Amino acid sequence: MEAGTLSNPVLRARRNLTDRIGDPLLRGLAGLAAVVAVAALAGIVYEVIHLAWPAIKEFGLGFITTNDWNPVTKRFGAAPFLYGTVVTSLIALLLAAPLSIAISIYLTELAPRRIMRPVATLVDMLAAIPTVILGLWGILVLGPFMRDTIEPALHSVLGFLPIFDGDPSAFGYLTAALILTIMITPIITSVTREVFETVPGDLKEASYALGATRWEMIRQVVLPYSRPGIVGATILGLGRAIGEAIAVAQVIGGANLINASLFHTGGTLAAQIASQYSNSAGLQKASLAYLGLILLVFAVVVNVIARIIVQRGRIKDIDDYDIGVVATQAQSL
Amino acid sequence: MSKRLLSVIVAALALSVALAACGSSSSDSSSSGSSSGGGANSPLVGAGSTLVAPLMSKWQSDFNSKAEITVTYGAIGSGGGIEQITSRTVDFGASDAPLTEEQFEEADAQGEVVQIPWALSGTVPAYNLEGGPKGLKLNGEILSGIYLGTITSWDDPAIAKLNPGASLPATKITPVYRSDGSGDTYAFTNYLSTVSPEFESQVGTSTQVKFPTGVGAEKNDGVAAAIGQTDGAIGYVGLAYAASNELSVPLVENSAGAFPEPGVKSVEAAAAAVEEIGANNEISLAELPSTAEGAYPISTYTYVIVPLETEKATEMKKFIEYAITEGQSYGPDLEFAPLPKQVIAADKEAIAKIGG
Repeated sequence: MEAGTLSNPVLRARRNLTDRIGDPLLRGLAGLAAVVAVAALAGIVYEVIHLAWPAIKEFGLGFITTNDWNPVTKRFGAAPFLYGTVVTSLIALLLAAPLSIAISIYLTELAPRRIMRPVATLVDMLAAIPTVILGLWGILVLGPFMRDTIEPALHSVLGFLPIFDGDPSAFGYLTAALILTIMITPIITSVTREVFETVPGDLKEASYALGATRWEMIRQVVLPYSRPGIVGATILGLGRAIGEAIAVAQVIGGANLINASLFHTGGTLAAQIASQYSNSAGLQKASLAYLGLILLVFAVVVNVIARIIVQRGRIKDIDDYDIGVVATQAQSL
Repeated sequence: MSKRLLSVIVAALALSVALAACGSSSSDSSSSGSSSGGGANSPLVGAGSTLVAPLMSKWQSDFNSKAEITVTYGAIGSGGGIEQITSRTVDFGASDAPLTEEQFEEADAQGEVVQIPWALSGTVPAYNLEGGPKGLKLNGEILSGIYLGTITSWDDPAIAKLNPGASLPATKITPVYRSDGSGDTYAFTNYLSTVSPEFESQVGTSTQVKFPTGVGAEKNDGVAAAIGQTDGAIGYVGLAYAASNELSVPLVENSAGAFPEPGVKSVEAAAAAVEEIGANNEISLAELPSTAEGAYPISTYTYVIVPLETEKATEMKKFIEYAITEGQSYGPDLEFAPLPKQVIAADKEAIAKIGG
């Protein structure tokens, strides 16, 4: 067959042609795909800077620290929204990370198999709720509950702290942070669950063999082994929390000033852009693009920090893992 | 094998070119439908105000069947409409607030534009007060006090004075505003700035302002939900929204000292009472004559912005002419009041200028 093909001059010519262009074609297409991804990012950065340019020229870096946003006087600043973004996503992270780790531990180590499956599916489904719906639920259910129950309780116990001072409100940083918590918990959970499942069975066995209880095994084997993965999952959730716009815009109460009280209304970078962009023009539109640029830089910084942490964790924990941890465990027992 | 790959790639490329061609001409594709129906009219493309969108969708189908001109409209918000007409990416822009001088300058950079009021609607406060009376009477001073944070409780003496005999609970007042840009915010702040110098100096008039106190919510339904969930809340929504959602509406005092029910009739009365039309056809309905007893004090015009020099002058003139005359008949069902005759007359003068 092969010889027959090659003996036919027409077929041989064709074969030669495909041989010649096949490899370069593959390389070209794959390379093009890679270039497209990079070009898209570069294009976005360029376009955001281009859009924001009038505001950058007008306000300079002082924009970041200006605590004002007034479309009438045309004085714009990012401080209220930068503050809101940091506060809401940090609270969301502080609540969601331990919760997600606990859920993952339960699902991978403690739950019976027939419970694990449905619970894992349900947690994943939480991620599928459209954010608009979550925001609406925030307005109608969570907000009033915060105002009538949670916030008065926090206020009566911890009211001496400025962050828990002030009148309870259905709209504000805390309600937004809780909505974000619900939003990022399934993301962190599903990644940490995957990570916990990769912990080698023989390490766990070894730990048990040394007389560890289940809690000691989890604390001394599963958690340290998974640390880089947990950090990665948490950062993934943080990225989502920083960027969420619609649901936050619905419940944070759209105020243009920094407020110390978590009960108070505020704003975040993403929410401000989402709610004001369509109806703005001129300097306000440029300022919103400037907020977008800050958001972009912020997200990149968070990502880089996460990468550094993950990298460090890997070097420290995984390389001399197997012997190291079990040895220390043996000592501690 | 790789020959097949090659043909797949070629097919994919051809498809993507075809798709790109479709995408770029999508705004024109509807025109080919209408031109095949008869005339050789150019389609009109517009963008802007969301307030006028429900009325616009009636106009589009009716005008297309009558004049065989297709109108494509994107309800992208007033700011977007102003920006698009400034850069001439659309044939007309629609805005709930009249253009500022600065916006006029920018829009005129590529040839003069004209602004024409073409629809009229009202903005209605709504409140939620458990144990409080329905149809509470309020005035501009009280509303501005509430939104400035100087009136904070429902049993405030100013409110009690207007509502003798009503039992007012000492509930805290939570003012609710639109956190996104809105024609309703424009109408409301324009009214409050007119009645209260403090409000004008501290907040001002715009489709987006910085309120010193209160809670911001997204869109009409967000504001309505926030009011509904908060005892003691007061906010403002579009007339159409208030009418279809049975919100508890206060009666607002007008310049005549009367408390007209908000609705198409009282908005129409307000528009009829204001004779003064600005140099750029801008009309403020916040300052009503003291003789207009039935006039509702918080109403506003929404405007179309058109360049004077345009290739589609004939179609554009036809459409705006239609909108301010026949098109007005769709208004009342959608809670838009018909334009008063002095405005129609001014509009017709402005339309005559289009196309030189």
